[in-house]
Amino acid sequence: MSINGPVTRRQALRAGALGMTGLYVAACGSSSTTQSGASSAASNGSGSASASNSPVTLNWETWNDHYLPAQVTAVKQATGIAARPSLESDDSDGYLKVKQTGGQYDIVSTDALWAPKYFKDGLTEPFDVESLAVSSQLYSVAKQVPFWKAGGGYLVYPNGWSSVNIYYNPKYVSPAPTSWHVLTEPKYAGKVVAENQPTDLMAMAGLATGAKEPYNMTTAEISKAQEFLKAAKPAFLKLVSQNSDSVRALADGSAWMALENLGTDFRVKAAGGPVVKEATPKEGVVGWIDGEQMVKASAHKNRFEQFLNSMEQANWVAQNFLVNGRPLFNEKAYKILVNQGHKERADLLWYNQPERALQLTLKGPSGNVQGVIDAFNQVFGA
Amino acid sequence: MALAPEATAGPVPAATPRRAPLSRRLAPYVGFSPAVVLFGGFFLAPLVLIVLYSFWEVINYNVVHHWTLDNYHYFFSTPTYVSTLWDTVWVAALTTALTLLAAFPLAYWLARYVRPAARRPLLVLIIVPFWTSYLLRVTSWTTILGEKGVLNRFLELIGVIHQPLSFLLYDRPAVILVLIYLYFPFAALTLYASLERFDWMQMRAAMDLGAPPRTAITRILLPQIRPGITVAVIFVFIPVLGEYLTPQLVGGTRGVMIGNLIVNFFQGAEYTRGAAISLLIAAMIVAMLVAFRKQLNMADTHGR
Amino acid sequence: MAGEAADAVARHKRLARGALVAWAVFIYFFLFAPIILLVLFSFNANQYGTLPITGWTLHWYHAAFNDFQIQDALKTTLSVALEVTIIATVVGTAAAFPLVRANLPFRSGIRAALTLPIMLPGLLIGVSLLTFFTGVLHLTLSNQTVVIGQAVYVTPFVILVVASRLEGFDRSLERAAADLGANSYQRLRHVVLPLIGPAIFAGALFAFTLSLDEFVITLFLIGGGNTLPIYIYTQVKFGITPEVNALATLLIAASLTITAAAFVVPGALRRVRRGRRISARPATGA
Repeated sequence: MSINGPVTRRQALRAGALGMTGLYVAACGSSSTTQSGASSAASNGSGSASASNSPVTLNWETWNDHYLPAQVTAVKQATGIAARPSLESDDSDGYLKVKQTGGQYDIVSTDALWAPKYFKDGLTEPFDVESLAVSSQLYSVAKQVPFWKAGGGYLVYPNGWSSVNIYYNPKYVSPAPTSWHVLTEPKYAGKVVAENQPTDLMAMAGLATGAKEPYNMTTAEISKAQEFLKAAKPAFLKLVSQNSDSVRALADGSAWMALENLGTDFRVKAAGGPVVKEATPKEGVVGWIDGEQMVKASAHKNRFEQFLNSMEQANWVAQNFLVNGRPLFNEKAYKILVNQGHKERADLLWYNQPERALQLTLKGPSGNVQGVIDAFNQVFGA
Repeated sequence: MALAPEATAGPVPAATPRRAPLSRRLAPYVGFSPAVVLFGGFFLAPLVLIVLYSFWEVINYNVVHHWTLDNYHYFFSTPTYVSTLWDTVWVAALTTALTLLAAFPLAYWLARYVRPAARRPLLVLIIVPFWTSYLLRVTSWTTILGEKGVLNRFLELIGVIHQPLSFLLYDRPAVILVLIYLYFPFAALTLYASLERFDWMQMRAAMDLGAPPRTAITRILLPQIRPGITVAVIFVFIPVLGEYLTPQLVGGTRGVMIGNLIVNFFQGAEYTRGAAISLLIAAMIVAMLVAFRKQLNMADTHGR
Repeated sequence: MAGEAADAVARHKRLARGALVAWAVFIYFFLFAPIILLVLFSFNANQYGTLPITGWTLHWYHAAFNDFQIQDALKTTLSVALEVTIIATVVGTAAAFPLVRANLPFRSGIRAALTLPIMLPGLLIGVSLLTFFTGVLHLTLSNQTVVIGQAVYVTPFVILVVASRLEGFDRSLERAAADLGANSYQRLRHVVLPLIGPAIFAGALFAFTLSLDEFVITLFLIGGGNTLPIYIYTQVKFGITPEVNALATLLIAASLTITAAAFVVPGALRRVRRGRRISARPATGA
């Protein structure tokens, strides 16, 4: 250790700290210029002018496909409401955080059958969806989802939906799959990818084995589903953690089939991959419909309506469709998309057939999660 | 041996021996106080909760205070868990050994042959890649190892192979390779910190006395850096035991480790099951640390 | 005879050094290979990161600069990482001393206990701390709760690294300093701390690195807002876009620049100063 040692190190640390501060300041600077410089391109038809435009921050526990950054900025400028999206990875951790933190979150996004659970546990409050000016842009079927009606109101402001279908490469997979049992065919061993969602995979196995409620299976049904999944295990190349993993696998040919959300065919094409087609097995598919809920303990419930009226405008929803590529419940946005020449893509994704969403086996909290996951682990363990 | 100078500052103490005042006796432990605050305040309570969870149940996504041994019983009664854990221990041991073998020459070179001024940037360079997201790095590996990936294309290009090698990805070897990549800096930096203060003159002396280099290393160097090796082993072995993302991304369905099974429970909010299995694994690790404490000998090698 | 033996030894030594250098080069290549790919894909027109690269574009950089959310996440990540590093380094270094030097009963047990946070899955720590903070302490979640949670996980790393360095510490140096009149504070400041400096530095580097990519504990303890890892790991349904690659590339470029500046500049400055001093000194006998 030379005498110069400590001196150099101290200088190094100082320089490092300076550098980090510089980075920090740069990040601060650029973000503030972005926020102030962004022009509000949106037309915000805030019909209910009863709410003031005073600045407020709404903490929003959601997924990143529910908003576009420019949209959030525009809403802030039009209404003073700064939405602060906090990303959740799954329904269950969103639920836990809202449950534990009381009123720290103001809005929480959730899937289909979780909404009644939130309500039953006293975490969310129903509202009159028809009274929102912007709700006139929705397909009427989205405002009449039976299990979203509770407490004299509606639990969720609908956002979008998707189903998990079989996407296959017709060059290698022939004939086109018509049943989940295609997964047990030896010729497709090691050629299928799916997302690592134990409850969803077990639900699909439940569909394949005739379970009445795949997300709420009895012990006997779980056992049958487990057998099926065990027979299907050799088919799986891997279980992915993000949709883009499946897209890559299909695009570079390492997988011939993927159990994925709607729009995967477009994404594979965008990734420079082959043409893949969509197949709906005859036993049915699982899926989700989601939307925004109002947290009961929130201190800003009075701004909820104003926020939605500004946020859920058709022009933004149309843009969201183009970015994320899955159907949404806003009918006016569909018309905008048609006008912009995207009818084919929207129709291929069943945008104009929202009633399909309600025919899906919808994702929701399971009555016997432990049994389901135990079964899953036994199949996919070493 | 030396008198602490401040002892002579005050009046000469009485000749009768007295027990040192409390402050004196506690003085060596003062360093623990911030840690006591941090861990005592913010780890003890969660730990107790975790232990309690392991004896409770989750019903309808809520932790319910029904006392049960079912979580623990389940682990031992289902063959999958024990066999996956066994496989995981092997993977972790192999990964640790290979990582240390790969890191040691680099740390040695840095500590012995690189001039001090150049060392620190080289050290930081080892860790800079790890300031990017884990997910991005591992995804890059899938691009490298895949059948149509960089490595296969390169090997085909230079004519070493004619068919892409498919075993490179989606199996155990890929998992081990990527884990070595991910934990390399921890091993390298830890070994370096230990090697850095080693007196290289001792090696010269040993060789002057006729020892071949290998003997000098094994008999002189390694024993003295044993604390560093121990810590490097801890930093690789223990986290690797809990790994789940890498096995998922590059392991396919054959590279499953116990972490994957535990994480599946957490995805379903089954915190109680997950807690029991995690505590069993932690207990196993603690048992190993205590059982091997002689081999991982931490005695002061300079003598006090 | 002796000359030949000396030659053989010298050749052996050169070979050994050459092999070590070759290994080092290979390792650095190995470490940076995935990063090179990552950087390449930040310019890839195709958002899915597949080969071959279809087109080159700066679109993702543009998107990263205009995405206030990703910048917010970056800010949060860096500020949390800085706080965690400071706390972990101070707490960890302080705790290493009694761990090594005090007369502890059952030292290996205490060491194992201090290592516990590493042994448990982050999710368990996150969930139980969430329950503790909100259910028992009735705190609001914020960046500070994240810092605490991460510090619990990260500090054992610092403790272990510094402790391993302290273990082999030659205490006769401290005794010599005491003989020369240094009190315990001075001994600490001028003898011990500088000599264990590399270990503290390594520990701090670990702390920073671990905090930067920590996801699970953070997910459960953060109030509003996100960190970069949260942003990246929650993109399950649609996957991450190369915007993240662009950000990662910028971060790496920044870190490399700072590293270069921090370590090259002082040395260069010193050489310049020394040069000036030498030229200013009146010529005397060598």
